[in-house]
Amino acid sequence: MRYLLRRMLHAVFLLFGVSILTFLFSTLAPGNYFDEMRLNPQIAPETVASLRAQYQLDRPLPVRYARWVNSVAHGQMGFSFAYNSPVGPLLWVRARNTLLLTLTATLLAWALALPLGIWSAASLGRLPDRALSWTTATLLVIPDLVLALGLLIMAVRSGWFPTGGMVSVGFESLSPLNKLRDIATHMTLPVVALVISALPMLVRHIRAALAEVLDAPFLRAAAGHGIPRRRLLYRYALRAAANPLISLLGFSLGTLVSGSLLVEVVMSWPGLGPLLLEAILARDLYVVIGGVLLSTIFLVGGNFLSDLLLLWADPRIRTEAGAE
Amino acid sequence: MQLLLNVENLVKRYAAGQSFGSREFLAALDGVSLSIQTATTLALVGESGSGKSTLALCVACLERPTSGSMWFDGRDVAALGEKQQRAVRPQIQLVFQDPANSLNSRLTALEIVAEPLIIQRRFDKQTRSKRACALLERVGIPAKKAGSRPDEFSGGQRQRLAIARALVLEPKLLILDEALSALDCSVQAQIANLLLELQASLRLTYLFITHDFAMAAHLADEIAVMDHGRIVELGAAEKLLRSPEHEATRCLLAATPRFHGAANLPEGL
Amino acid sequence: MTRRRPLTRWLIALLILHGVIACAGFFAPYDPLEQDRQRPYLPPMRIHVVDKQGHFHFRPFFYAVHLREGSFDQFEEEANTTVPMRFFVRGPRYHLLGLLPCSLHLFGAENGRINLLGSDAYGRDQLSRILYGGQVSLLAGLLGAGLTLLLGSLVGTTAGYCGGWRDEFLMRVAELFLALPWLYLLFALRAFLPLAVSPLEAFLLVVVVTGTVGWARPARLVRGVVLSVKERDFVRAARGFGASNVYLLRRHILPETTSVLSTQAAILVPQFVLAEMTLSFLGLGVPEPVPSWGNLLANLQQYSVLVSYWWMYLPALTIVPFFLAYLGLANALQEYAEPYKIEGRSDDSPT
Repeated sequence: MRYLLRRMLHAVFLLFGVSILTFLFSTLAPGNYFDEMRLNPQIAPETVASLRAQYQLDRPLPVRYARWVNSVAHGQMGFSFAYNSPVGPLLWVRARNTLLLTLTATLLAWALALPLGIWSAASLGRLPDRALSWTTATLLVIPDLVLALGLLIMAVRSGWFPTGGMVSVGFESLSPLNKLRDIATHMTLPVVALVISALPMLVRHIRAALAEVLDAPFLRAAAGHGIPRRRLLYRYALRAAANPLISLLGFSLGTLVSGSLLVEVVMSWPGLGPLLLEAILARDLYVVIGGVLLSTIFLVGGNFLSDLLLLWADPRIRTEAGAE
Repeated sequence: MQLLLNVENLVKRYAAGQSFGSREFLAALDGVSLSIQTATTLALVGESGSGKSTLALCVACLERPTSGSMWFDGRDVAALGEKQQRAVRPQIQLVFQDPANSLNSRLTALEIVAEPLIIQRRFDKQTRSKRACALLERVGIPAKKAGSRPDEFSGGQRQRLAIARALVLEPKLLILDEALSALDCSVQAQIANLLLELQASLRLTYLFITHDFAMAAHLADEIAVMDHGRIVELGAAEKLLRSPEHEATRCLLAATPRFHGAANLPEGL
Repeated sequence: MTRRRPLTRWLIALLILHGVIACAGFFAPYDPLEQDRQRPYLPPMRIHVVDKQGHFHFRPFFYAVHLREGSFDQFEEEANTTVPMRFFVRGPRYHLLGLLPCSLHLFGAENGRINLLGSDAYGRDQLSRILYGGQVSLLAGLLGAGLTLLLGSLVGTTAGYCGGWRDEFLMRVAELFLALPWLYLLFALRAFLPLAVSPLEAFLLVVVVTGTVGWARPARLVRGVVLSVKERDFVRAARGFGASNVYLLRRHILPETTSVLSTQAAILVPQFVLAEMTLSFLGLGVPEPVPSWGNLLANLQQYSVLVSYWWMYLPALTIVPFFLAYLGLANALQEYAEPYKIEGRSDDSPT
């Protein structure tokens, strides 16, 4: 299991590296949160100075970094100036909302993409494949900003869907079932936007991975043995194409937190996206760093997970890893 | 006749893989010594992995040996610095096995043959073209094909192109690293004859690397057998073929296919 | 060469699309900054060929519009004032391609304003703003992609050719950059730089920021090519002729990277245009009054605009043909370089 340990160590190093990089970026920034305050004539400069000292913005960089790492270990992840609270809980609430959206969208996207991709690869070059390729090409061409805005306009003009937010006014007074329904209706449009933007790429990659396998001699040999087509497809081809698919899955999981930023902002979904944007504009340093770190954790974690899955699924990698 | 090349105890080690702690070394050349007389051919025979190509690269000054000395035309070239080696390299030229790999497919035949002159900054453009064309003719490529790209030539013609390119700087030593191995049999014979003819008229010295004993016998005056980075047997071609001494030599000879009526093999084989 | 035909087709398509935007001054009837406070949020004007009396006119025309009685955002057509559409008219001055002063426009009207795609809150003609905005967004995308490819090539070539610790170090840094979420990094980087800047400074900042964020993937690709070419025998042979490193790179190695770089360019340019649009949409990019496709969409964030003024969405659709053409080009380039590869099996992973 040295292989696993190495990968984990690698992931941890990556996270440290990323956090240092982000820290560096932020200190190079010419402004900070308290600049606005400083410009305000009603606030005495001493107040600003004392606030800065309180948040220890005037300490040297390594000290700040060390304190921040310490605070991450305690789950607080630094302090938000704008919200006047530790960053950790803030991020957690928003991340929960984001994950609700992205997990649903990812599950749906994969649930749709797998059969479509398989069907496309199985009928390579013929009508279903060509129609699907054409559709994915068309969808690919529409960027998610355009898509999200378009859906929003449609919602507004048709009145079928709520146009923003996660819950309606008076949410608390609803029965549990109605609460669920309320969230579901609010979730529909963002999820649709996310699914439509993720689907074409997924279908293409799945199709490509399968098509390459379907062309392999070993599969033709199996067909020559009289194995029925369906079993060929699912038990043989899919397994052989597992590697690129698992990497793709790792990638999908990795972008669970960061991929929905735009959609959330456009549709006013209270997730990580709007929080981060706000924090960036207000120069709320630790929120930004915390947000970037969180999404990097997911990215690195997604990769690590796919490495694990690959280790489990592919005996070749197992032997290679064991040989180390 | 003097010695053009004299290699003594050449060692070349490569670092092969790293795990935490130990560094393993692969000795591609483990104390190689040989010499070639001017205007003769030495054939270097051995199996894949015996270190033949590494030796070729070291002799051509494209790789630095880990230790040992190499005397070319009276100077120890192994000890020279990079800049000085660059001055020596034009005198030792390589012809590689696979012309598809050794010729840049984006260049025309003329450009390929003229390139060494451009790099060495010799002559002006016109003279370069003339010399290149002359060489192309010499190796049997018609001048009208000078503007074609390598993929428009056959395998044999491509190898002729590679030979022409190797000759344009008027080298003293030509190293042919399995130069005939990738060609069809009939084409092999043609190119072999071209090489013999060029050697006679230009007084070239050849180091001919191959795994084919029959070809070695046809072209070489002396044969050296290489095994696991060492020269295990070295001697005149006729004598070696008639009475091989080392185990490795015997194995290689036994593996050579024998054809009834083969005209190339010396008697007794 | 039949392999070349789809490639040329897409290149021509792109040339035409970019050409129209480059000559925005000619195709746009008005100056993008010209306001008309009398007609804010004008819906797209309708073209007519048959007038209210039922007569057919060869020359298409519009009806002048004015505010309906008692309303402040409803417009209606005046039945008796026709505004004929004239072609190749003289209009506001502009500089063709930024150099030649010119005043010829493709179409216009002599006795009124034609707003084919409506107008915005200040009465500025949307069509003109879209065309001029395209110049900003496309240029930002092209320059940003160019910068990224340049950086990526430099890093990739150094890492691949020199090898050793340089390679290790650069690839580790690349890995770090690849682990960061691209969009977040973009925003953070942009926002940590001064926000209230002039349009030109903002434009340059957008280019620099987008350019310096995305170098890691091209760098890896270039490194891969350089590594494999470095070992080819023709490079060895050239070194055998006494070639210097610079010569080898220039003559043999770098030309092999062109196919990878051009495919990357076709993939990256639309992404970078989109990045500029996103930044401007969120207020981090090119600010008013200079139009860019991004900030033209910015006021869609207001609910009232969404509900009543749907034509403000149109700038979003203008990027679609560009994306289509670039996608087609990227596919054609890949086909051209590797005719037997199955599409999708490449490095164009979703960012």
